Amino acid sequence: MGVDFTSAEHLPKVRAGGEAADPAELPRQRRGITPQMHGRYPDYDVLEQARHWDDATRKVVLGRVEQVPEIRFFSPREAASLKELCDLLTAQDAEPRIPVLNYVDEKYLRGRLDGFQFADMPDDRDTWRAVARGLDEQAHSRAEAPSFAAAPPEVRLAIVSDFAGGRLEGGAWSELNVKRAFSVVMRAVLESFYSHPWAWNEIGFGGPAYPRGYSRFGSPHLQGAEREPWEGVEAYDEDPVSQDREAPPS
Amino acid sequence: MTPIGGLVKGVTRMPRDNDSAWLLHPHRRGLQNLDRMRRYSEREEVDIVIVGAGAGGLTLAQRLARAGWRIVILEKGPFWDPDRDWVSDEAGSHGIYWTDKRIIGGSDPIEMGKNNSGVGVGGSMTHFAGYVPRLHPSDFEVRTRDGVAVDWPISYQELRASFERVERELPVSGQDWPWGDPHTYSHSPHPISAAAGVAWRGAEDCGIEMRVGPVAITNGAFGNRPHCIYRGFCLQGCKVNAKASPLITHLPDAIEHGAEVRADAMALRVEIDESSGPCTGVTYVQAGREHFQPAAAVAVCGYAIETPRLLLSSTSRRFPNGLANNEDQVGRYVMVQGATQVAARFPIDLRMYKAPPPEVSSEQFYETDESRGFARGFSIQTVSPLPIGWAEQVQAEGHWGADLREYMRDYNHWTVLGVLCELMPRPENRVTLADEKDQYGQPVARFDYSLCENDHRNIAFATAKMREIWEHAGAQDTLQIDRYAHLVGGARMGFSPEDSVVDRNHVAWGVPNLLIADGSVLPTEGAANPALVIMALADRLAGLLREKRIDSSAGARRRATVGAG
Repeated sequence: MGVDFTSAEHLPKVRAGGEAADPAELPRQRRGITPQMHGRYPDYDVLEQARHWDDATRKVVLGRVEQVPEIRFFSPREAASLKELCDLLTAQDAEPRIPVLNYVDEKYLRGRLDGFQFADMPDDRDTWRAVARGLDEQAHSRAEAPSFAAAPPEVRLAIVSDFAGGRLEGGAWSELNVKRAFSVVMRAVLESFYSHPWAWNEIGFGGPAYPRGYSRFGSPHLQGAEREPWEGVEAYDEDPVSQDREAPPS
Repeated sequence: MTPIGGLVKGVTRMPRDNDSAWLLHPHRRGLQNLDRMRRYSEREEVDIVIVGAGAGGLTLAQRLARAGWRIVILEKGPFWDPDRDWVSDEAGSHGIYWTDKRIIGGSDPIEMGKNNSGVGVGGSMTHFAGYVPRLHPSDFEVRTRDGVAVDWPISYQELRASFERVERELPVSGQDWPWGDPHTYSHSPHPISAAAGVAWRGAEDCGIEMRVGPVAITNGAFGNRPHCIYRGFCLQGCKVNAKASPLITHLPDAIEHGAEVRADAMALRVEIDESSGPCTGVTYVQAGREHFQPAAAVAVCGYAIETPRLLLSSTSRRFPNGLANNEDQVGRYVMVQGATQVAARFPIDLRMYKAPPPEVSSEQFYETDESRGFARGFSIQTVSPLPIGWAEQVQAEGHWGADLREYMRDYNHWTVLGVLCELMPRPENRVTLADEKDQYGQPVARFDYSLCENDHRNIAFATAKMREIWEHAGAQDTLQIDRYAHLVGGARMGFSPEDSVVDRNHVAWGVPNLLIADGSVLPTEGAANPALVIMALADRLAGLLREKRIDSSAGARRRATVGAG
């Protein structure tokens, strides 16, 4: 198994039909965790580097993984629909999942707003609640489902697709500029998902790098970046275990 | 600049009148002389209260403290200790941005927060990327040369020595600079990464010249500031003390010379003497309690949103529509730069998260070229988003779900160019007060912004240039995000009370001891990142004050006399 990543054939805009390649074609993650265990860097676990991070950063990043906040800002009904929304927006269709909504909930519980509100929109916190109501309304009108979470998968996907395209109206959606509401939701979702070390494992990001820093970042004369010994290797056709890499810490 | 000056680089050329780099600890971050910081009483009138501890306020404070002024600096946010407060993490850096609510409107609303607004001692430079290009001589006379916007009431020549002084203090690393007023930098250029190298080769192939820098990031030790370690988190606050911000480049020396910083202190109103007109001090709230600090002069340095907001909130019988706003100029002509980014995909892994995001840039398209069909121009710079920033770039084209995850997994094969397009100052692009109140009971700022036709053409042309570079570099795929960066204007300097808020010496029209010394005074923005020019303007203003060419400090309540300047 393996994909040639020198080619861009796996990318949605390059592929005929415009859809992403099936991530099941990737190896399974062998070391550490990625969301759904997709292993583009199957033997790279950024958390193994935590001992090299400064104390303040380690506390923040490990806290994110080890102390998942409980849902307290959203009501149980809102949370059920919004959790489903977050999973669809981040294509999390199996365990292990990054608990995106838990981080979003904590952000708003603590009033950590982003510093701006569109003049034709409510407060971000009210936007999220209206989106939860609007999703349930759509599920009811399209499939007579009691809630978005209870609607059939194809109905849920169609609703989210229309949300992304700004094509929803009526009910709760009339309180919102739908395209902007989607950007408000995505801003918090992406911040939550891509601040999680499991997502860093998936994309091969080096993570926090203080006080160690980087000494090998390539040069215009090299074909590609030099790699620190601890950085992940992409899952090419070769067996990565035979490649040059740091011995695993005991 | 002497030939020797151009040849000898690094620590041999330390600034003469600013010991900040030596006052820092070689191993710990944060300021080491806080225990010696002077404290002024609220019962005594100080020489000046400076509102806002950012690029303008702290540069001004350092200069005036050296001249013996008694100074209190009020800062809304915390007094940062980078060891304790800052992290190598995007989401964890939320606290260094100004995230109190602002309402955004107009046909092209501008996202605020982490995009352009800092808070705490050090201001927005704590999270700026590090690019410190100068404005060009042409920027000061765009009305005369190009028939657009306005000329500045000062010339490039009047600011040149200030640019040079500040560049030496930051210090700036970069190649010899061929554009605008050609000049050299005191520190050698940094090595560049593979990600920037790809951009360089693509640009070269289509006849676009790039240069390394100019960045305010140490290349070699500088006083007690160490060499950059290339960890890539410039936008999250530099934990290394390698990237410049006034927290480490000017404040240590200001404190050593008697300046006091009051952090977590939100200014509510600049007060005036209703009978005679000058301002008397600043009312602020700290730890839930209202205070008043009397001062012989007030310098507002709150940047393009907070400076107008404070002036508009400071109403009186003499100024019923806000301080210095009897001509309805406060809050107008706020500018951002068109900062579209185009990312490109390559077969090799590039890992753009390593090395500072600012690496190489070009000002080849900075000046007006009539054949392009618009006035003024743009610069091109590398930017290197970390994962959350990269996700925003991917999402901007509408990708979500499986498509988004696939582009995200491909992160290490991508590199990103951004532009800074000079956009036009327009009176309707302005800061006003919204009905909503913040936690201090102050009206929240509303910022309306709309592009004009020249702006649209500039951005379209600049974006096409980035695409041309990537095509020549052999990109396999691209992703584009249309965005805006930086904030200037809102209390601009000009020739008369009818066209501006302050005169050429930063003195507010009609309030002789009220100064504005931040990015809000810029009449136009050029295609340069604003940090350096804000510091340079504060340096020039301090020089005028020290030479008593603006006499706004000499004694209580005395009407300032503005010199020839």
